[in-house]
Amino acid sequence: MCGIVGLHLKNPALHGQLGSLLAPMLDCMTSRGPDSAGLALYHDEGARTVMDVYKDVGLPKEICARYDIASRTGFQGIGHTRMATESAVTTEHSHPFTPTEQLALVHNGSFSNHATIRRRLVREGHVFDTDNDSEVAARYIADQMTKGADLDDAMRMVLKEFDGFFTLLVTTSSQFAVLRDSFACKPAVVAETADYVAFGSEYHALASLPGLAEATVFEPSPEVVYTWSR
Amino acid sequence: MVQVTEADTVLNCAELSTREVNAALAELPDGTHARITEPWGRHNLAVGLSNSCTIEIAGNAGYFIGGLGAGPAITVHGFVGWSVGENLMSGSITVHGNASECAGASAHGGRLVIHGDASARAGISLKGGTVLVGGDVGHMSGFMAQAGVLLVGGDAGDALGDSLYETVIYVAGRIASLGADARIEELTADDVLTVKRLVDKAGFDHIDPENVKRVASAKQLYNFDALKDQKY
Repeated sequence: MCGIVGLHLKNPALHGQLGSLLAPMLDCMTSRGPDSAGLALYHDEGARTVMDVYKDVGLPKEICARYDIASRTGFQGIGHTRMATESAVTTEHSHPFTPTEQLALVHNGSFSNHATIRRRLVREGHVFDTDNDSEVAARYIADQMTKGADLDDAMRMVLKEFDGFFTLLVTTSSQFAVLRDSFACKPAVVAETADYVAFGSEYHALASLPGLAEATVFEPSPEVVYTWSR
Repeated sequence: MVQVTEADTVLNCAELSTREVNAALAELPDGTHARITEPWGRHNLAVGLSNSCTIEIAGNAGYFIGGLGAGPAITVHGFVGWSVGENLMSGSITVHGNASECAGASAHGGRLVIHGDASARAGISLKGGTVLVGGDVGHMSGFMAQAGVLLVGGDAGDALGDSLYETVIYVAGRIASLGADARIEELTADDVLTVKRLVDKAGFDHIDPENVKRVASAKQLYNFDALKDQKY
């Protein structure tokens, strides 16, 4: 079990609140993942988009306080609370996994054929930081995109190549994408308003968001890639 | 829409823990009415109750709402998360909204009514309960359902009724695909009467009892056949 949250802010007026909106969402998912937690936050610096990654071992609330997440600004962010099932509890093993400077992935679930795909990627020259299964998906998606796929296509390839169960939330400098496995094994809720797209493993993670009562709330269908772009 | 009714007890989730809400509900005398306010997706509300009270949840609720219930009549004015009415024994749960996965899983008795859609695995492993969904149900609904009835007012997703035992599924809309060992059978006069009765109880007005499909087990997987192909 793990928890995932994400915010893609459509309304620039909310950019100053990215961290303060995301931190309580992450804290709310502590019951799904008390081992470690992490976030990837995106903001603009002039014409450049910068992704900052914070991850650590411990309770999500403590990690958010340690890195002063509530004061961070930006246009989107994703977060993960981890309950490790298949590899060590360390900062390196915690999510998000960020194979490139602009790509971040958080995963709830587990892959069963990650070792096979890892061996193939290693043969092609990829270098892994951990033995975590989710890192394989992150590097796989990055590899697909390097070879020319867009984020939608790269995520669809995950459906073809990976066995196991997963809810994935993946972000780039311009996109925010969600994908669930064929059986929708792991929970996922999306809430969309004119101001934001919010993702939570469970609805109550979204409860603190402004205007949630008026949001369009839905469960992403299995095998469908949902993408939002700036 | 939240219908405000007179409640003997109002329990506000913003002020109370789930344990405090459920302890207060368990103390309610039979015949009383309680309202739970500001649920905001709270899990495990009104679980494990055996008193004959009525409970309203004024908003969207989380997982396992009304699970293990043996008595109360629960109404949710909003949507619910996974496993609403799991292992329901008796009483009723009515959801005026959508339900997430595994609605009514393993329900032994009682009645679960969902006026919106239910997601994947609705009525999974049903053991005698009645699950009535006004809208659509997701994939693998009715999986391994052993007894009871699942009524679907809309469409059913893939692999409906996979590995069914004695549960009968009625579907008013389209069926994306049937699961292994599920088959569509001829609708009998008894079926029409059953569906009429269920539709009335649920308060659905969009289902024609004479125009539903009856899905039941073909019983080819019903027992493990040790001699099949003489492999064992």
